[in-house]
Amino acid sequence: MFRFTASPPLALYVHLPWCVRKCPYCDFNSHALRGELPATAYVDALLADVLREIKHIHEREISSVFFGGGTPSLFPPAALARLLEGLQRYLRIAADCEITLEANPGSVDQARFEDFRSAGVNRLSIGVQSFQADSLHRLGRIHGPQAAVAAVETAHAAGFDNFNIDLMYGLPNQGRPAAVADITQAIALAPPHISHYQLTLEPNTAFAARPPALPEDDAIYAMQIDCQTRLAGAGYQHYEVSAYALRDRRCRHNLNYWSFGDYLGIGAGAHGKVTDLDKGKITRYEKLARPMAYIREATAGEAVAKSHQLSAQDAVLEFMMNALRLPEGVPRKLCTARTGLPWVCFEAAVDDARNRGWLDITADDRVRPTALGMRFLNNLLGCFLPPD
Amino acid sequence: MTTRRLEQIRNFSIIAHIDHGKSTLADRLIERSGALSQREMAEQVLDSMDLERERGITIKAQSVSLDYTARDGRTYQLNFIDTPGHVDFSYEVSRSLYACEGALLLVDASQGVEAQSVANCYTAVEQGLEVLPVLNKIDLVSADPDRVVQQIEEIIGLDAADVLKISAKTGQGLDELLESLVQHFPPPMGDPDGPLKALIIDSWFNNYLGVVCLVRVFDGVVQPGEKIRVHSTGREFTVDQVGIFTPKQTSWQSLTAGRVGYVIAGIKSLDGAPVGDTLTHASQKTTVPLPGFKVVKPRVFAGVFPVSAEDYEDCREALAKLRLNDTALRYEPETSQALGFGFRCGFLGMLHMEIVQERLEREYGLNLITTAPTVVHEVLTTRAEVLEVHNPADLPPLGEIKEIREPIIQASILVPQEYLGNVIKLCEDKRGSQKSLQYVGNQIALEYEMPMSEVVLDFFDRLKSASRGFASFDYEFRRFQVASLVKLDILVNGEPVDALSTIVHRDLAQVRGRELTERLKSIIPRQMFEVAIQAAVGSRIIARSTIKALRKNVTAKCYGGDITRKKKLLEKQKAGKRRMKQVGKIEIPQDAFLAVLQVDQANK
Repeated sequence: MFRFTASPPLALYVHLPWCVRKCPYCDFNSHALRGELPATAYVDALLADVLREIKHIHEREISSVFFGGGTPSLFPPAALARLLEGLQRYLRIAADCEITLEANPGSVDQARFEDFRSAGVNRLSIGVQSFQADSLHRLGRIHGPQAAVAAVETAHAAGFDNFNIDLMYGLPNQGRPAAVADITQAIALAPPHISHYQLTLEPNTAFAARPPALPEDDAIYAMQIDCQTRLAGAGYQHYEVSAYALRDRRCRHNLNYWSFGDYLGIGAGAHGKVTDLDKGKITRYEKLARPMAYIREATAGEAVAKSHQLSAQDAVLEFMMNALRLPEGVPRKLCTARTGLPWVCFEAAVDDARNRGWLDITADDRVRPTALGMRFLNNLLGCFLPPD
Repeated sequence: MTTRRLEQIRNFSIIAHIDHGKSTLADRLIERSGALSQREMAEQVLDSMDLERERGITIKAQSVSLDYTARDGRTYQLNFIDTPGHVDFSYEVSRSLYACEGALLLVDASQGVEAQSVANCYTAVEQGLEVLPVLNKIDLVSADPDRVVQQIEEIIGLDAADVLKISAKTGQGLDELLESLVQHFPPPMGDPDGPLKALIIDSWFNNYLGVVCLVRVFDGVVQPGEKIRVHSTGREFTVDQVGIFTPKQTSWQSLTAGRVGYVIAGIKSLDGAPVGDTLTHASQKTTVPLPGFKVVKPRVFAGVFPVSAEDYEDCREALAKLRLNDTALRYEPETSQALGFGFRCGFLGMLHMEIVQERLEREYGLNLITTAPTVVHEVLTTRAEVLEVHNPADLPPLGEIKEIREPIIQASILVPQEYLGNVIKLCEDKRGSQKSLQYVGNQIALEYEMPMSEVVLDFFDRLKSASRGFASFDYEFRRFQVASLVKLDILVNGEPVDALSTIVHRDLAQVRGRELTERLKSIIPRQMFEVAIQAAVGSRIIARSTIKALRKNVTAKCYGGDITRKKKLLEKQKAGKRRMKQVGKIEIPQDAFLAVLQVDQANK
């Protein structure tokens, strides 16, 4: 039994699982669309699903909503509008709520972006990945460099002043100049936020089955440093392992994950994490992953596939897995507040990590990874794994 | 006392090279006796250890008793005692043969005679066994019986004019084989009414029954309820059960002279029933024991260390249990600065070492680091003492060494003519000197003397690749001989790692040092800091390689739904580290300690 003094902030994740086709590196719950997108049935299912989430809310406002996928921009704007109206009805959405929609170049036009905007979406996350034709082709993306640029320009034109560009580096056959060219091009398009990820080969993907030849580790690291230098030069603050933002444009929704906030998850394969103050427990759950099964079960009654309660060891490790992704770290008090556990549960591992030079406690009492700890985050997190 | 022929019993074994079809033949014999159903026959039953079945070799002696009704209308009990086929286990072979009166020499009719079969066949002849040559796989298109018969006559010197031709696979020739077996092999001699004398051929531990002894009864009778004594220890036990393997364990009312079977007598302690010992009745205080077996000396030594220190006692217990039925295995406690507490183990050869290591890991669940095997060296000190050095780390300081002597073996190699050049070159590379070269049919029989350390390294693998698998090989120890040897040390970030030291020929030190540092560079994963690997003789650095620092170890993405999978990733990384040994600040994988073995392969 954990002891909480206050509920963590609450966000909402909505999963829209359909894509035009599945990319070879993608390990998310996405499904190539065959035939008509069942938008009406899916919105009905989501609204039925969210109703059963109300028990987890405990009078909290929703601070952010994230429509992830899949390719949510494939969704008809009218269906999305109906969904958002429904959510407004059942939930208390904060006045300044950040509402993000993932969009892929090649599935958008200006009218569509304007419609999403009038439906209530106020932030876009655009899956550009690269501006090089060769790289986009290898990544199995359906768009070309022009469409990538056009998508960003369209976002601007549709009146979005808050959006993100997803870029990847360490791509098959990619050299340092190509990686730098990508980041330079991205910066030139002036997005308020850039997510800059190293490509990783995830299990159960086409790339895992037939791994492409990737650049050497040292070359990838050199790309990272080059790109980080350019991002910093252009005023982007590095606030998470792979996230860079202009002032005030950090992603609120993701920051909620990284500071171990609560979130509801609705939609096929969506994950949620909720804190029950009275019972003193933290629960993670997962919805049915296959879209048709999800629609059927959510509409009929219950779409939770599995759920489990966190042990104290889980809570400590998972808190750190999130919080230590932030170079600025988190207030030490947040460790105890969000996990409901006393500091003594963290102390030995924190001391171990400090002795190894991977972790700091700052003068203003923040727990923060050192520069070395940031580079070797997995080693640092190893300190928080339960002993054998 | 009346010793007589026990007419209706035949005790025999099969001498065969790996793959020449011994297990298949054994299966056919069992099938013929009807002891097992078709379903139970689904797998080859005799190689019962997982390891044996996987590798297709026999490690331990096993026995099967079969009833066979011959053409003379009488039913014979045929006791087949299995023998290992590999050169490392020649000791086990002589043990198995001791309990037999006859041996089938099973030769693949297309592959011909191999060096190991020759050696085992000589052992059988020396022990007075009747040897019956049998050609197997006669149904294959590639079978060349005339050539192989000629080989048997020329290489082994057996009269193979009336050789039996069979196919264990199809069953062809099996009837003739069983008949000849009954007619040619002498029945055992013994006195069923005399005082009990039973030889322990093998023994193993069963969790439910305690120690199970496989015995050959030479005289007398043993039955449940009787008090027996283990001769060497003088300890007495009450017999619970006796019986035979059909191959199912089948209990009998008694085991009489001439028979091979098992005795279970509530023996709990690991050393209660040493192999080679004699069982008598407790009342027989003055019986002279059977001769038993000569004690074999291990020739190859290696350090065996539990990865985590808590497993030390488990490791000791596991070694004790293995030693119970593997008398060739030696072990003594060893302490390494790098690897902590472990054991210096002595083995018959490389395969024996691998088998022991695998059994420790699989059957006893131990996580181990094995150091590269080394041979025993003799050191003559300046004080005129002769030391036997089992471990390079134990070599006295240079100033105290007058000379170092290394073990020399005589290698016998059989090779088809077309690969002769390759094999001679290999033997010369391995510092061998030729003793003889003889043409035998279209094969060549070579005798070489060479340092045993070269054989331990990777000789067998390279012989196989030099001859496309056709050469066969056997060796025996000859003598210790003075050689110009030095200790090659490996330093990791300036710290010597004792478990990586080797003794090498002075002329090869530079090359080995370079190969070893390069090899270690490829095995030791990059760390958070740069790691220097140096090879040194005394205080002189002779080679160096550098492992560059790892740049980062971060998971690129982590959002709400990912956490469970990313957590598994961290756990996997940690488990990977658990299999490594922390030496100072550096994590060294287990393979690194065997790197010495692989240097040559890496460069071929």
